[in-house]
Parts: sequence; C-alpha cells; structure tokens
Amino acid sequence: MFKILVKVCVAVTVCSGLTACFKDEPLNSECDIEKAWVHYDEPELCTWNLSDTIIEKVYTGESTITFKVKPGTDRSSLAPQFVVTEGATLFPENGSVQNFANGPVAYTTTSQDGNWQRIYHVSVIEERRTVRDIIEFDFERVEVFTDEFTKKQYYKWNDLKEDGTDANNWASANGGFSISNPSAKLDEYPTVPVEDGFDGKAVKLETKATGAIAQAMKKLMAAGNLFLGKFITENALKDALGSTHFGLPFDKKPLKFTGYYKYKPGPTFMYEDGRVDEGRKDEGAIYAILYKNHDKDGNPVMLHGDYAQKKEESENIVAKAILPEVRPVEEWTRFEVDFDYYGADVDYDLLNSFGYNLAVVFSSSKDGAYFHGAIGSTLYIDKVSVICETSKQ
Amino acid sequence: MIRKAITVLMMAAATATAHAENLLTGWDYYARLGYNIGGTAPVGIPATIRSMNSYKLQPNFTLGLDVSKPLKGNWGVMIGLHSENKGMKVDATVKNYHMVMTKGGDEIEGYYTGNLVTECEEWMLTLPVLATYRVHKNVMLKAGPYVSYVSTRVFKGYVYDGYLRRMVPVGEKIEMGNTEESRGTYDFSEHMRRIQVGIDVGADWQFSRRWGAYADLQWGLNGIHKSSFKTIEQTLYPIFGTFGVMYKLK
Repeated sequence: MFKILVKVCVAVTVCSGLTACFKDEPLNSECDIEKAWVHYDEPELCTWNLSDTIIEKVYTGESTITFKVKPGTDRSSLAPQFVVTEGATLFPENGSVQNFANGPVAYTTTSQDGNWQRIYHVSVIEERRTVRDIIEFDFERVEVFTDEFTKKQYYKWNDLKEDGTDANNWASANGGFSISNPSAKLDEYPTVPVEDGFDGKAVKLETKATGAIAQAMKKLMAAGNLFLGKFITENALKDALGSTHFGLPFDKKPLKFTGYYKYKPGPTFMYEDGRVDEGRKDEGAIYAILYKNHDKDGNPVMLHGDYAQKKEESENIVAKAILPEVRPVEEWTRFEVDFDYYGADVDYDLLNSFGYNLAVVFSSSKDGAYFHGAIGSTLYIDKVSVICETSKQ
Repeated sequence: MIRKAITVLMMAAATATAHAENLLTGWDYYARLGYNIGGTAPVGIPATIRSMNSYKLQPNFTLGLDVSKPLKGNWGVMIGLHSENKGMKVDATVKNYHMVMTKGGDEIEGYYTGNLVTECEEWMLTLPVLATYRVHKNVMLKAGPYVSYVSTRVFKGYVYDGYLRRMVPVGEKIEMGNTEESRGTYDFSEHMRRIQVGIDVGADWQFSRRWGAYADLQWGLNGIHKSSFKTIEQTLYPIFGTFGVMYKLK
C-alpha cells in the first residue's frame, strides 16, 4: 500500500522535474567581428599612433572597420586579421592579403549554425593633416540612419573631411532613444535638424521623456545631445555614461570655440527617479575639450560621459573651452570661449601626430548623462567654429 | 466560459453516476490541504534554455473539498472544488532565446542570451472529475480531467547579465546589467488564459479513520497563454504535483 503511494510520488516528481532534461547546447547564431588588427612591417612609418594598428573592440552596431594610416602608406597588400564569434567563418579568409588601395574590402562572416551572415566593409584610409586653421561645423550634412534590422530611423550628422571623404564625426544618443522609446518617430528623437537655423539648417536638442521600458530602469528622460565622437548604443542601458565616447583625433591647437545658440529650459527639473527639484532650473551644455588620447603606457584614452569623476580620464585633459552659462535666450545668440590651457602648452610632436582628441559637446540638459534635467529643455545650435593656431611643424 | 465549463462538468458527473442506484446516498466528503510544486514549462525543453540557476518555492497552497462515491466493485467517482495557486519563480540561463521586452505598449524584440527570471502566479478554482479505483481498503487511485478558472494571472520577469540582439541574432546588441537601472523587464500577464484544462492522476491514502495523505499530478493540456500570444515560441503548460493531507468529513 505504501509502495503504491511512493510510486505515485516518484512519478509526480519525475514528471514535474522535466526541467532537468536539458538538450545539447545549440550552435552559435551570432557572427560578429569582435576585434581586428593589421600588421605593418614598419608600423612607426605607417601609422600616426601604434594603437591605430589594432581595433580592440568592434561594436555590434558597426559594420565598417577602418584602419588609419599615414598618407603614402602602401595599402595594396595588407593582411588584416580578425577575431570572430566562436565557430563563425570568414570570407575572404582571415589573414589573407587584400588590396585596400581602391577602397573598402567586403568580408562576410557566417555563423557557426550556418543560418546567419554579416557583411563588414574593411577599409584602410589615409589620415591627412588638417590644413585649415578654422574648422567650421554648419550642420548642413544630416542624414537619416535606418537600422538594418529594427528599421528604426533617426538622424545622424556627418561632415566632409578636407579631402572630401566622410568624416562620420558627429554622434548623439539618438541610438539609445531607439531602445528607450522604440515607438518614437524620426522627428520625435531628442536630436533632430531644423530647417530655419541661424544659417541654413541647425540642430535642435531637446530633453525628452523616455518610454515605459526606460522609466522602469530609472531613466526618465533622454537629453538631446550632439558631440564629436561615438555613441555606443549597445551600452546605453547597462552603462549610459560609458556609452558616450567624446572626442576624435585632432592635430591643431584650438584657441577659440564659437557658435550660435538659443536655449529654453523645461519647466520642471527632475532627477532620475522622478524627484522634482522646485528650486532648480535646467541648464544646457556647450563646451569643447582637448585631451591626450593615449596614456603614458601608450594605451588609448577616451573621455566618457562621467570623465569629470574619472581621474585617469580627466588628468589627460589639456585644455577646456566651456561656455559658463547657457542663458535662456529666444534669439540666436553668439558665444565665444577661449580654450584655457591652464598655463601649459601642447606637445607639438604629439599634436602633429594626432596624439590629442578634440571633443565638442552640446546637450540640452547639462546633467543629462545622469538623467537629471527638465523634460522640454531645448537647445538650438548652429554655425560652430573651432579657431586654431596656424600649424607649427 | 465558466458557465460552459460547469455545465460540462455537471454532465460528466451525471453520466458517471448514471448507474448509481441512488444519487444522494453513499457519498464520502473530504477536505484537503496541499501544496503544489512544479512549473509552467514547455513540454520538451528547447535547446535555447541552457540551465536552471534557481527555483524558488511559492505560496502554492491548495484548499479543497471533494465528494466521492463507490459505484461498481472497486470503481467509483470523485468530484471536487479546489482553490489553489500554481506559481513559480525560476531563474534560468538561456542562449539565443527569442523574447520581447515590453512595458506600457513599448516593445523591444530580439534574441536573448543570459539570465532570465520568470515569476508566475495563478490563483485558480479547479474542478476535478475523477474516476477512482480502490487498490487496497485504504488506498484509492484516481484519474480524470480537471478544469480551472484562473482568477489571478501574473506572468512577468526580467533579464539580467546578458544581452539582447535586436530582431535577429545578428542585430545590434543591447547589454543588460544586474541592477534595477540596467535590466530589462517583461510582463505577459494580460495574455494569460482564464480557463485551463488538464488531466489529474493521483492517489489517496487513508491512514486513519479521519486522516489521510494524497498526491496528485496535474498536467495542463492547454498553455497558460492564449493561443494568439506568440512572443514565447514554446507553449508553456502548467505541470504541477500536489502533496497534502486530507480529512474525511463524513
């Protein structure tokens, strides 16, 4: 009698313990290039910085890989190597010699399970010294970016370099907004163009309320921002501060930072958790920073959204041009700020070999990186210039 | 829907007892208090679910009343009404698992690799109609269908320490952390069914004049979500074992 009961109990336990029956691990469906590097026989002669021979991390949202070389470098037979997702295959073969002199070479990765493919365009481009002393940003070259898979669309700004090639220089947190507000339409993003700027098109940056998914993550707002650098969308939820990579290599000594703006703070200042601060008015941010892009051991250094809190980042800063007060103004207002070098000077050898990064940053809420600000704060920016010293060789 | 279920049940009960000489005499009454342990899971775990990190017991109590009656030889019938919860909280590791993060009408769809916590609460009223067979003077085996009306429907959770590839396994990654600020949540409660049906197989052991113990396996035959709900590719069936004590009232 008791035996029967035991048998029933065993049957029940076995059946409800079905979750113990795990199958073999499926093969990988992903097929990313995770890291890339290229070997030059004399890397000092081919690159401005030795670290340009390696791209430590290729982010998943990127399908272009760009190596920079000094002008005149032979690009006709180089053999870049790649780390791909475990089990993925690469065509043309990893480490094979390719000709990059005529433009990018397409590499196709295929996942371990054979079901998925990605195409990467790998290029080796000549990084030329800047000729002009005044670098102008007019925000006329704006394009609509469409994510290949999600079909989400948002604006990106991309100036031309002096040699007429794409600079891919401006970044914004619009990519993050495509996660926090997946139903947002193109013109509802925080950083958008406007037709009637000070001169042609301008950029409108607005602090926007986020959607329910982001609100659950204590990210109640997304400030409109635009900066020289890269925005790493894949980190936007996990490490919002780390997702803004401020600055691009620069080879001029900047002296002045000028432009035009309009600003209107939103009505209610809030913190990330929704606490309202009645006594606080939101402020915009307009600043430029020059910093050394390598540490003393030669490792690349990048400024992130929280650089002020990070000693290893902030001690690389050599000059700042910060507009002390972004005043609420309804008319286009000119700003002009000198770069403050704190009494020191730049290292010209370093400068002439792109050893500094220039970050130019605009935000509709100064502390937007920490999700502090007022929804509705709006900053318009147009006709920005960085006036530099004439190059000394 | 519930009215239909009750009618079906009544008809089944009537058919089963059609041969009884007198419908009103010879019934035994039992009160039961038990605990459900199990989960809502796909039958046949997909390869995308890699391991179970933790399984937390939930307040899965069941309180019920049953009537039973011997019919012919060792055979008999048992009908009951149980108020019970079939909840679970599971932390599992998944690889390339199709899912959608949802909240307030916003959706982020993709393939997730990492940790996934699922919390489920299903308070329900269950009506089992069982055939019984007495294998020993104190032990009765029972089997038959049940129908449940689910009054509290919760199916939600979050993902942490992993990443979602948007739309397809080669879409852009969204990294997830393990803090309230950095993990993704989902809630599919509103897509759950009100009515569940299944098969109950069990045994009652009367070990004293009044007291007994029982064990049942309740195997759900329809998924906990409506069939129109496609976000979770596998149908999740409630499969629970029940253990408890019973008291013979009459």
